[in-house]
Amino acid sequence: MPSRHVFLSALALTMLLGGCREGKVANYQTPKETVPPVVPAPDAPAAAPDMASIPVPTGNRHLEWNAPSHWTPGAASAMRKGSYAIRGDAGEADLSITSFPGDTGGLLANMNRWRGHIGLSPQTAAQLEAEVQHIDVGPLHFDVVDYAGSANGIPTRIIGAVLALPGETWFFKLMGPDALVAQEKAAFLAFIETVRIP
Amino acid sequence: MQETWKAFRDFFVSLKLTVVLMALSIVLVFWATLAQVQLGIWGVQEKFFRTFFVLERIPGTDIPVPVFPGGYFIGGLLLINLIVAHVSRFQLSWRKSGLFLTHLGLIVLLLGELFTGLWQEEYQMRLDEGETKNYSESYRFNELAIIDTTHPDHDDVVVVPEQLLARGTEVQHPKLPFRVIPRAYYPNAALQMREEGQPANAPVPVNRDIGTRLRTIPLPLTYKPNERNLPTAFVELAGPEGSLGIWQVSPQLLQPQVFEYAGRQWRIALRFERHYKPYALTLLKFSHDRYAGTDIPKNFSSRVRLTTPNGTDDREVLIYMNNPLRYAGLTFYQAGFDNNDRTTILQIVRNPSWTLPYIACALMSAGLLVHFCIALGGFIRKRRAAN
Repeated sequence: MPSRHVFLSALALTMLLGGCREGKVANYQTPKETVPPVVPAPDAPAAAPDMASIPVPTGNRHLEWNAPSHWTPGAASAMRKGSYAIRGDAGEADLSITSFPGDTGGLLANMNRWRGHIGLSPQTAAQLEAEVQHIDVGPLHFDVVDYAGSANGIPTRIIGAVLALPGETWFFKLMGPDALVAQEKAAFLAFIETVRIP
Repeated sequence: MQETWKAFRDFFVSLKLTVVLMALSIVLVFWATLAQVQLGIWGVQEKFFRTFFVLERIPGTDIPVPVFPGGYFIGGLLLINLIVAHVSRFQLSWRKSGLFLTHLGLIVLLLGELFTGLWQEEYQMRLDEGETKNYSESYRFNELAIIDTTHPDHDDVVVVPEQLLARGTEVQHPKLPFRVIPRAYYPNAALQMREEGQPANAPVPVNRDIGTRLRTIPLPLTYKPNERNLPTAFVELAGPEGSLGIWQVSPQLLQPQVFEYAGRQWRIALRFERHYKPYALTLLKFSHDRYAGTDIPKNFSSRVRLTTPNGTDDREVLIYMNNPLRYAGLTFYQAGFDNNDRTTILQIVRNPSWTLPYIACALMSAGLLVHFCIALGGFIRKRRAAN
């Protein structure tokens, strides 16, 4: 009988040790990899352009939209669900479509953050409520703002739409030279009207 | 020696062992089913089935303790039990051929699950239109890559698995002139660019590169099958003369962070675990076709170019639903799309044992059928004899 105990103990120990899996440090050579360049925006938006061009686990809801043909699509990233460059005589504007888990601090905090990007002072909740435009697109409710200020001494405008969904918040933020963004406002609002859950 | 061998055989031949293992399997499956609510399918597979023991940590510590036999333990013993019982009691007779086939099917099924657990690989490749990649990325695992980019022809990469960062294990590698000291690790966190005066929310003071401008928001772990945890690590590098600084790394950061040390150029990044291939894919065009006049999807397809460095392969391939690319033992499925139809997501699967469950089911079905027919024949003969 003792031999049976020895045998069973040895079996249990072997399996216990076999169950421990340890990751190992590895070393290998790869062909030279070119890293995508960072394109400096007029003023760095909250989650870009330093964020990765790899999958998007932040908000997992998938939205679709139709962008105007004169907007040039850019690469998506971990934070950017979509990206467009809009070129005009006044320069280039950047449209970022981002999604974050939760309410990301609420509408007021985020709008004041955007205002800070273009040198505007923070608003109160009452001021924001008076200024924000509400747009309903089917079941989707957008809060739309339009702020004009300046960044690096250049007149700069942000037109943004915030879409709060259960568990995540989507930001559609058009930022760039004042004249160009103002000129694109109608296209931006028409673009918002095309956003849909497939 | 004789006695040990006998104990060995008696233990494994025992029908009691079979019954105990079956009972343990029922408990394991029931427990895992309940745990799936919290852990999700991947977590349950790893914690309960693809392990020898179910481990739980002692409360308040990081010390794992085995609390129940896992899938490999129970399945392994069942397999041995079945094989040893057949070998020691094997009698080749027509009457037992059905049972023999059924048990053979069971053995193949158990082996199939073992091989799948050991060999199956599942990755994804995301390609923007025009982009070329020669690697796929893990759905779940991450790695810290420290890359020496000094050589003009190639990069020298040292990768540290995420588990070592999570555990705070210090790493010293012959290819690195510094030690890698994980200072803190969040398994899931959101990052935001920090406003002036806003707290960084970091557990250790980051003093290198973009980490100094980030705000970290720890998030609860997600176990949903369609979501992914995005870790953030705070890593200190230390040379013989002292600390080089503390970097914050995350798969969310677009670019590797660059620094110079010991006359060499380095990059550091926490990225999705990569698996390099001896070939490359370029996305030429992603198409999302809809039925005319509606938004109802009709077809998703990716036109890719497959190339090998030595030129043996250079061809265009169309991957679409139910028409994957099969190449070098891998299957590339059209799995998804993103970026408003400009990015394709390919799922890449290697499962050399995918046929085994089918073979096992066929063997078991045939075995049961044969056994039924033999029993029925015997029954009919007895009835005739009685009449």
